[in-house]
Amino acid sequence: MSIFQALVYFVREATTGLVRSLRVSVLAILTIAVSLFLSGALFLASQNLARTVRGWRAEARLVVYFDRASDAERRGELRARIAAGAWTETVAEVSAAEAGRRFERAFPSLAELVQGRGGALPHSLEARLRPPAAGEATSFAAWIEGVRALSGVEMVDADQDWIAQVETLLALVRGLGLALTAILLGASVFTIASVVRLTSFLYRDEIAVMRLVGATEFFIRGPFYVEGILQGLLGGGIAIGALAGLHAFVRQKIATSAIAGLLADRFLGPSQLLLLLLFGALAGWLGAVISLGKESLQPSA
Amino acid sequence: MIQFFHVSKRFPSGQSALDNVTLEIDRGEFCFLTGASGAGKTTLLKLIFREEIPSAGQILVNRRNVSSIPQRKIPYLRRTIGVVFQDFRLIERKTIFENVSFLPRILGLDASRQKRVAFEALRRVGLSHRMSSFPRQLSGGEKQRVAIARSLINEPEILIADEPTGNLDPDLAQEIVKLFLEIHLRGTTVIFATHDRALIESVGHRVLNLAHGRLVDDRPSRRGSSPGPAAPSGETETGDAGGSPRVGDSPS
Repeated sequence: MSIFQALVYFVREATTGLVRSLRVSVLAILTIAVSLFLSGALFLASQNLARTVRGWRAEARLVVYFDRASDAERRGELRARIAAGAWTETVAEVSAAEAGRRFERAFPSLAELVQGRGGALPHSLEARLRPPAAGEATSFAAWIEGVRALSGVEMVDADQDWIAQVETLLALVRGLGLALTAILLGASVFTIASVVRLTSFLYRDEIAVMRLVGATEFFIRGPFYVEGILQGLLGGGIAIGALAGLHAFVRQKIATSAIAGLLADRFLGPSQLLLLLLFGALAGWLGAVISLGKESLQPSA
Repeated sequence: MIQFFHVSKRFPSGQSALDNVTLEIDRGEFCFLTGASGAGKTTLLKLIFREEIPSAGQILVNRRNVSSIPQRKIPYLRRTIGVVFQDFRLIERKTIFENVSFLPRILGLDASRQKRVAFEALRRVGLSHRMSSFPRQLSGGEKQRVAIARSLINEPEILIADEPTGNLDPDLAQEIVKLFLEIHLRGTTVIFATHDRALIESVGHRVLNLAHGRLVDDRPSRRGSSPGPAAPSGETETGDAGGSPRVGDSPS
């Protein structure tokens, strides 16, 4: 029998098996769908968040506020020193007057706090930095601390500080997502294993006949493997449909919710969707392999 | 064709099914295997098609030591042996055609050839008109004839029958025996397990008698060593006995 003929036979028998034990098959498919949906939702959210964080990091700034005692000469020295930093791309000085104007624009209702009070806000320097490469985190943090310690500097605001915190949080969410995925997929594998075992039990007499007439293990086990894979693919398909629905729903909320924008900017790409389906198929196949252990298809005495 | 050398079979529970059995069945021979329930008939048959492995001794089938055949080769051994059981073992959800054509399908025959060999096998047992029926629509005798057709589909060299008439009334039993005798006439080695003494006496072929796992009697055929017309009187309804093509035993 050719591989194509065998596949056609396996798919037909697997479909019959799915229909024959419909309720438990639906249970297995839904279990894997829920697992993949939750895993996919976590992955989608973390991916969008990571993209946003990357954007933030690319635009990260270092704002150095000079103390009021610093004169123009000292500010010039400090500017030159910061501009020479290994991560500095551009530097721009913001005068006290410009800082006051910005404050008025940003907080019109509080404008009176700075109006007519020259020097209410200090001179400052805004530096755009390139993101530190992997392995540069320590030296980058040391450089920031060095800037903070410079004479004439009153305060330093480094976006990298809170971005690093968000990235730590993101890594934690990803780790939890992976752990959750592993647990849920494990549960799915065992659900599918139970379903395939049940189906093989229903078919045990037929399997005995197949052995009797000389069917090979490949021919006997093939339909059960395909049944597991079909369950996984169906579960994956349902999960993708539900994810698309959830994404579309959250996208509608972007206009009114900043969080929605962070988490649902883009949907999963084709390769990621394919990966989700493959995970489903793999879980299904694994379930079938586990359920059809060496002895499980042996004829009953 | 089939040789047992000091074969014993003891199950893990400690129960002994066969004890030091030595026998030889020639190519083309028809022999009855008889004995009370629990005498070891079924175990002996299962040893031939490697459903069981002997605890001691050697078994040769067609000069192949079946005890040492690797697991993956067992299907190919079984394709040379037809097996018929008392309970028919038909697949209820499949049609008669599908039941009979299962082996040709796994051997990769195209649909028209599958149909042809299935039709031929069913014609030999007189059921070619029931190809699209399901087993539940058939009588006990018809089901057994379908099981025989299935066992004949690959023109096996050996046909093993384990109490094939056990579930049938005497008339149907005679009909089934006639079928086996016809198959034997075409050169197939037949081993027919039964405890129906009257049936055995009516045919007169070699009888192997088991008791408590031991071969206690080996009575030669009263009909001579070569296969010959041995059917009890009466017409068969099995169509002609012309040869049908072997569907091939290439691995699938």
